[in-house]
Parts: sequence; C-alpha cells; structure tokens
Amino acid sequence: MTSSSPDLSHHLSGEARERLPNPMKVIWRRVNSSGRIDVANMANGDPHHSLYPFKQLMFEVPSVAEEPDPVPAWRTGNCPTQFFHSYKDEPCALSLRNAFQYTHGAGLPECQKTLTDLTQFFYAPPDHAITLTLGNSDGITKLFRLLGERGDHFLTDEFSFPGMTNAPLSYGIKWVGVKMDAGGMIPEEMEKILQNWNEASGRRPHVLYIIPVGQNPTGTTLSLERRQKIYAIAQKWDLIIIEDDPYYFIQFDQPPVETPSDDQGNYSKRFAKSLIPTILSMDTDGRVLRIDSFSKIIAPGMRLGWITSNRMFHDKLVTYTDSGPQHPHAFGQAFVTEMLSEKGWQMDGFCRWLQSLRLDYQRRRDFLLEVFRREVEPTGYASVNVPEGGMFVWIEVYFERHPRYRSEPPVAGSSTVAPRTNVEVLLLELLEKFIELDVVIMPSVLFAIEEHPRWIDDGARHVPIRDRTRFYRATFAGTEETIEKGMTRLGRALREFFDGPPLTSRL
Amino acid sequence: MVFIPSPTVERHVTEAGLKRPDLSRHLSREARARLPNPIKSIWKVAQVKPGTINMGNGDPHHTLYPISEMNFVVPSIDDADPVQAWRTGTGGQQVISSFKDEPCALSLRTAFAYGAGAGLQHVRDALADLNNRIHSPPNHSVSLSLGNADALTKCFRLLGDPGDSFLCEEFTFSAMTNAALPLGIDWVPIRMDEGGLMPADMERILSSWDEATQGKRPHVLYTIPCSQNPTGSTLSLERREQIYQIAREWDIVILEDDPYFFLQYDLDVNSATVAQHGFTRAMADALPRSFLSMDYDGRVMRLDSFSKILAPGMRLGWVTSNHFFAEKLDMLTDSSSQHPHGLGQAFVAELLGKDGWGADGFMKWVSSLCSEYERRRNLFMDVFRREVAKTGFASAEVPQSGMFVWIKINLEHHVRYRRIENSSGGPCTNTAELMDELFRKLLDCGLVMMPASTFAIADRTGRSTEGHIADRVNYFRATFVGTDETICNGLSIFGRTIEDWYCF
Repeated sequence: MTSSSPDLSHHLSGEARERLPNPMKVIWRRVNSSGRIDVANMANGDPHHSLYPFKQLMFEVPSVAEEPDPVPAWRTGNCPTQFFHSYKDEPCALSLRNAFQYTHGAGLPECQKTLTDLTQFFYAPPDHAITLTLGNSDGITKLFRLLGERGDHFLTDEFSFPGMTNAPLSYGIKWVGVKMDAGGMIPEEMEKILQNWNEASGRRPHVLYIIPVGQNPTGTTLSLERRQKIYAIAQKWDLIIIEDDPYYFIQFDQPPVETPSDDQGNYSKRFAKSLIPTILSMDTDGRVLRIDSFSKIIAPGMRLGWITSNRMFHDKLVTYTDSGPQHPHAFGQAFVTEMLSEKGWQMDGFCRWLQSLRLDYQRRRDFLLEVFRREVEPTGYASVNVPEGGMFVWIEVYFERHPRYRSEPPVAGSSTVAPRTNVEVLLLELLEKFIELDVVIMPSVLFAIEEHPRWIDDGARHVPIRDRTRFYRATFAGTEETIEKGMTRLGRALREFFDGPPLTSRL
Repeated sequence: MVFIPSPTVERHVTEAGLKRPDLSRHLSREARARLPNPIKSIWKVAQVKPGTINMGNGDPHHTLYPISEMNFVVPSIDDADPVQAWRTGTGGQQVISSFKDEPCALSLRTAFAYGAGAGLQHVRDALADLNNRIHSPPNHSVSLSLGNADALTKCFRLLGDPGDSFLCEEFTFSAMTNAALPLGIDWVPIRMDEGGLMPADMERILSSWDEATQGKRPHVLYTIPCSQNPTGSTLSLERREQIYQIAREWDIVILEDDPYFFLQYDLDVNSATVAQHGFTRAMADALPRSFLSMDYDGRVMRLDSFSKILAPGMRLGWVTSNHFFAEKLDMLTDSSSQHPHGLGQAFVAELLGKDGWGADGFMKWVSSLCSEYERRRNLFMDVFRREVAKTGFASAEVPQSGMFVWIKINLEHHVRYRRIENSSGGPCTNTAELMDELFRKLLDCGLVMMPASTFAIADRTGRSTEGHIADRVNYFRATFVGTDETICNGLSIFGRTIEDWYCF
C-alpha cells in the first residue's frame, strides 16, 4: 500500500487486536535474526518427511490441450485425459516433502506464489497479499470475526445467502439489507442508510458484504458503473468491502474467446479481458477483502480458496489462521500448484477449462429459460430473470392474482416493517404444493434480511420486505432432465395452486 | 431474518438407559444462540420422498468435477517393519485409488460434493470403528476435524464465554492457550511433576475457588495426556481415574488433546494376539486407557489427529464426544470452516478400506512408527546420558510416548544463580534470566531447543502456594524428530556448551 493509503486498523474487532501470535514464532524469529545458518534444530515437533507415507499423488483430469472445449466431452466421458503428479523424491511444482509439512498460516510458499500470480493475472490488484483459505465460508466467517464486534451492523443485499448471514448472528452481529433491483444492490439506497443512520442503533455500519457476480439468491450481477459507485460510497463512509465472488468465472453472454492454434499465452490474456473488472481491481485504499474459491470451478470438496487483501489484514488473517483451523491441506495445494504449472494445464489450459465451464452453464441457463417459457410463463402466474452469471434464476410469482391474496392499507401508527399482505403465507403454501408435486425450489423468505423501523427513512412509501418476498430461487446446476422435469412440475403446481380449489391455510 | 422452523421434530438423544448428567450449562452464549442452516431444513423435508426434483441447491453437478481419479502411492505394509523399509527405500509400495465413475470405498462423486459439517458418513464410521476397538467409548459421536488445533479452538468457542476460567497444565501448548485469550477466556494452571498434572492441585484449585471474587468456577480442563506438550509426560491410569473423579465431582468438561496417543514406547504388543486377532486388537491391549474410554458421563471431548501418524499436511482428525456436544460442534463447523476436504476424506476411506491397508494394516503402520520413534528416543537418551547428563548440570526423564524430552537444567549449581527479593508475588530467583542467557549461548553454538518460558502459564488467582512459575522455567523442550545426525550433533553441542557455561 502506498503511504497515502488510509490506516484501516480501526476496523479490526477487539478479538482481532488482542490476538497474539504463536509464542514459538518469537523463538524462531530470534533464531533467524541470529544469523546462524547451520543450526541443529531440536525445537520442532514436526515429523520428518521420510516418515510421510506418500511417495506420489496423481490426479486424472481432462486434457485441455487436446480438447479445446473439454466440458461437454468430459461430461459424456469422451474426453482425453492427462495426469497431474506430485512427487516426494522427484522434481515437480510442489514437492510432497514440503506439501505435507506444517507450514505458514497463509499457505505453502509454492501455492501462495501460484495463487498470487493468478490473482495478479486476473485482477491486477494495486498492492495486496493473498492468504489461503478452506473455501469461501471459511474465508468470510473469519472476516466476520476479524471485523465485527457484538452489536455491530453490517450491510448486505436485502436478499442474501443465509449460510453466511446466519453465521455471525450468534456472536451479536446484525444485518441491514440494502434494496435491490434487476441490477443488484442499489448504491443510492446504501448511501441513504449510511446518511440516515441513527447512532442509537449502534455504531454506523462499517462493513459491506456483497456477491457481485451471479448474486445468491437473485442471480444479479453488478455493472461496472455500480461497482464504481459502491466503491466511491465506501471511500466516503469508510467501509470495508467483502467481495464474495465464487461465480466470477461463470459469466454469461460474452463472445467466446477464440483459440488460434499458434496462440501461446495470449488466450488466457484475452479470456481474462472478457470478464468484468472486480472491485478489488479498483481498490487503491486497501479496503476490499476479496474472497475467491475453487468450489464452483473445480469442486466443492476441494475446500480451498484464497483471500486477497491489504497487508495489514493479511497479517491479521495469518495470525488468526495459526490460532485456529491452520493452513489448508497438502492435497489441494499440490493439485492447484501442479494444475497451473508447466506440466499441468498452465494458465492457458485453466482458462480453457473455465471458458468451457461457463459455456456449459450458459447452455443450461438457456435451457431452463426455454422450458420455463414453454411450461411456466403461459400460466401467467410467474416470470423469471435472465442472470448474467452464476447458477441461479430468481422466479417471481404474481401472488396478487391468487383468489386468497389479501392486502390492507397500513394502519396509522403501525410498524413500517410489518407486512400488510399475506404474500409470505401464500409463498409457503405454494412451497408445500411444489413439494407435493415433487419439486423443490427455495422460497425468498429464507433469504430476506429482517428490517428494523429505525432504518426506514420514508415510512409512507416503504414497502416492507415481508410484502416483497414473492420470489423463489431455482438453480440450473442440475442435469437437463432435472431442469425439464422441474420446470414442468412447477407449471403444473402453479396452475393447481392458483386455479384449483381453495386450500385451507395450515400456517 | 425470517426463520422457518425445521419441520422435523427436535432431535431427542436417547441415552440407552444410562443416566447421564445434563451438560448443556457448559455451552457458551454463542453456541446456544447458533441457528441451524434453514436451507438444510427445507432440503430435509424434500428428501423424504424419492423422485423429488431438487432445484433448490446450487451444487455443481459431479459431471463437472475435473478429477476422475486420484492415486496415492503409499508404502506397502507387507514388510514386517514397514516404516524402516519405507525410510530406507527397501520396501514395496502400493497404489491406493479413488474414482469418480468406478467403484471404490468412497466415490469422488460424494467426496467432492458439499457435505455436512461432521464429515462424510463413511469416514466417520471407519473412525468410529477404530475408536470402538481401541477405546470402547460408552455412547459417543465422531465428527471430523481439520486437525487438533482446529478442533480445540472450536471447542473453546463452544464452551467458553468472556470471563470464563479454564484449567490447564502449567506448562502447556501455549499457541493453543493463546488462541483462547481473545475470546476472553483466562487460564488457571495446575501444578505438574514428572507424572504430569497433579490431581491434588486440581482439587485444591476447585475446592478453594471463590466465585464472589474470582468469577465463575472453572468448568473446562484442557489436558494433553500423552507426551504432554512440552513436558513429555504421560498420565498414568491412576491419575486419569483421579482426574475423572474430580471432573465428575465439580462437573468439568475434559478436552482430551491426544495427537501423540499412537506414538507409545516400551509397549507390550503381544505377537500371539497379532497373529490371532490382528494389530488393532494387539495395540488396543497395549495402549494406555484414554479419558474417553472411562467417559460414562459424556464429559470428555477427545481430539485425535492424523498429523503425527500420517503427515501434518493431512489436515484431518476427528473429535469424539457426546451426541449433544457433537451436534453443537457440527453447527459451528457449518457456520465457519465447513466439513474437511474431500481429497483427504477419500484418501482415509481408501486407506482404511479393504483395498488399502485396512484398520489392522493402519495399526501395523502405527506400531512400526512407534518402533522407529522409540529407536530415536533411545538414541537421544543414550547420547544425552553420555554427552550431557554426565556433566551433572542437566537431567531428563525418559519419555514414554511422543516426541518431547523435558530437560532440566540444575541452575542451583550455577555461580550466578541468585535468590531475589520479591514481595509482590513475582519470581524470587533469577531463573528466567539465566535460562535466557543459556538459550542465547546455545544458539550461538548452533543448537536450538524451546525454552520452558515459551510454554509457561502464570497463575493469576493469587492463591497458589507454590511460588511463581518463572522460578520453575529451568527446562528445555527437546525433540527427537530430526535425523540421527541432528540428534547426535545437537546433543554434543549441548554437552560442550553447558559445561562451558557453568565453568567459565
């Protein structure tokens, strides 16, 4: 960070500030600064590598060099394959002698370097460091603890992923939802919350958590303009931005990057250019903590990802990791390091896999939309968005067309956030109908961030979120058969629900 | 957050007729407040009917995992002493494989998917089976962890509130006790002797505790019963029984941190038992009895790890505890690091499966590992006696397990050893300064061992009758995990240097 970058250490929680490094590290620092090179080490309790029962790891993967569009071939079992190897006693990108040791909290040096290069390549952050994680959940929840005090309020999308937003509730962090539209979070709405914040509710929010590509659950992607606006607001109000981006490489409707046969090393550059700039790439202040993961682009069981942040946060994360789950496992670090190495896929090959993957998801998105238009839209009771990335569609249901839909004008003196319609009730009833007809999609009520009257500045015009939970999240990550059956059953369920005999409300 | 309560009935844990104490008071405020994942509740409802189309979860399909096969080249355990054969390169090797689209113990289709916090059932079952054969735990659950540091720090969050006091050994693995400090947990050290923590001192602390002035009485004990880190001691069966009794009396949860359990020396492994019943049984007969094995109350949380018996980079272990704590622990895992990596779980499933080493083969590897570490321990102690102990300035007990030797420096013989005036409860000797001097001198001469001060936990209750711990830090923790050459060179340096330091 340049000397003009702001000092952001006041964002750290008390817990993060009080955390002490491993006392044995103090000893190691003394050893290293003593200048003695050939020290007999009888201080470590680390098993010697000659006792690791691993001589070699081999991973069979698609051969992307031989197959330019590997995913469809791979899915049908028709793809040529290659192996990534890691050895204990022979040269490779990450020797098993190192891979299986206890290592630095940020990860093995070879893997750190590989991911630093990857980060530099795709995002070109101004001046940041990377810390390996065990996936996005791990990374994000660490940041909650790093930044949040009991009583804090954090900002996020008004419909957000409860797997993450539930996590800090038990340690006293609350959420304020920012209104969204078809383009995702509305920057002006975020600014309003900050401007009108009443300190009686507690400290003004100082952390923003967003999923900028293929937002979970709404499927929206923030435009470049919105990203810039959000960053400007963050600078003005001194916010930390947690950029949670697991679907970044699954962006749609870009012209596919061509692959001329003599194109060495340029394919990946052109692929990188086709992706929308990240908020990290504009982070001159060092206030962005970006979370990347291999879960959606390799597999969830990898449990491997990384956080890109300024060096101050990086150091704190390393101490935190050392005080808890420790660095990630050898297997995953070896895999990733070999994958991006000369004998692996290299950056070009990795980009080929990514492009092929995103085209595959795009085909599935388009298939879902096609079946939806055929089976659901004609009912007149629902519509769907066209996501620009990710794995989800956000289906809107027109509950006001239901015979039992009720809406009352707000009673004078009633809470600005209390529901005035029975949308929520109907939403859950319809969910039961879906389940009855053997299809499951997620009701928006699960994702809705609870509102508080204190944050509502325009009570007369405000529509409570509980009246706007008229959506379901559906995924196109399954097979075509799943999508076909699912959407067909959805259409049927809607007809039965809206046109069928009135149900007795069981809720 | 609009919360949908789970349509499934609250899980009732039936305890099969055993009358067990209610341990829910031990949970931290945070653990009590933690909600389960609402998305999982919906999915559970849907899973009741086969044929349900699930479009609710955003899980990548297994056809998109770009790994169809993983091979691990490991030692063959056909050799009588597989660890020696492996080290010297004279032994055979075996290839263990996991597949996505072909049969194997744990398909990569499962291993690479998202899963529950506790880990994959197959692996939990395999480890529960190992537990049963070694500890016969009365009624417990197994949850996978990312190793003992991960498990232990999660237990701190599960059980500790700001202002809590936890009990620990007065010399302990301070990286872990430090981890609890930012959570507002204070440590109360228990005195130790060559046999480990002294039950009488634990009883003294608890019975003389005054909640009015000291806050809530300690309700958690953190102990490393085998190859205690750093003192290398192993608790005897008698002491374990006494400690468990005290825990019962005062309602203490015991965190049994046991990464060195499988590295035991001078064991009586009966070859007839090996021949008739296999290595697991023979080792189970010889290994010390764990706290888990006597845990009829369900107050023990036992932490096992693959770090020292396979490799640290495994980042895999398992926690054994009562069902109630296990469920709460799994919820914490679901809210943080998530279940362990599929690659390691797949490996363990194959290793312990019929195409791998199996449980008996694994225990054969463990037994062979014990022999190797025992060899090193013996080498260390022989050279130590010859080069260091004979000077009369240092001594050490022979460790019965693990990797550590706790070397005592007889500082009272040093010319500059002094008593100092101290009325404020601080140290009354210059032990700490002299040890620091000796550490620097050893470093200058090319040897590093961990000074005791790194691991010392000072008593802050003001009630200890035994003086300040800084008067007792006249020890180094040495390890014998390095090469034979390192051990011999290191101890030579030690002998020469310490003689020099005393005499000149």
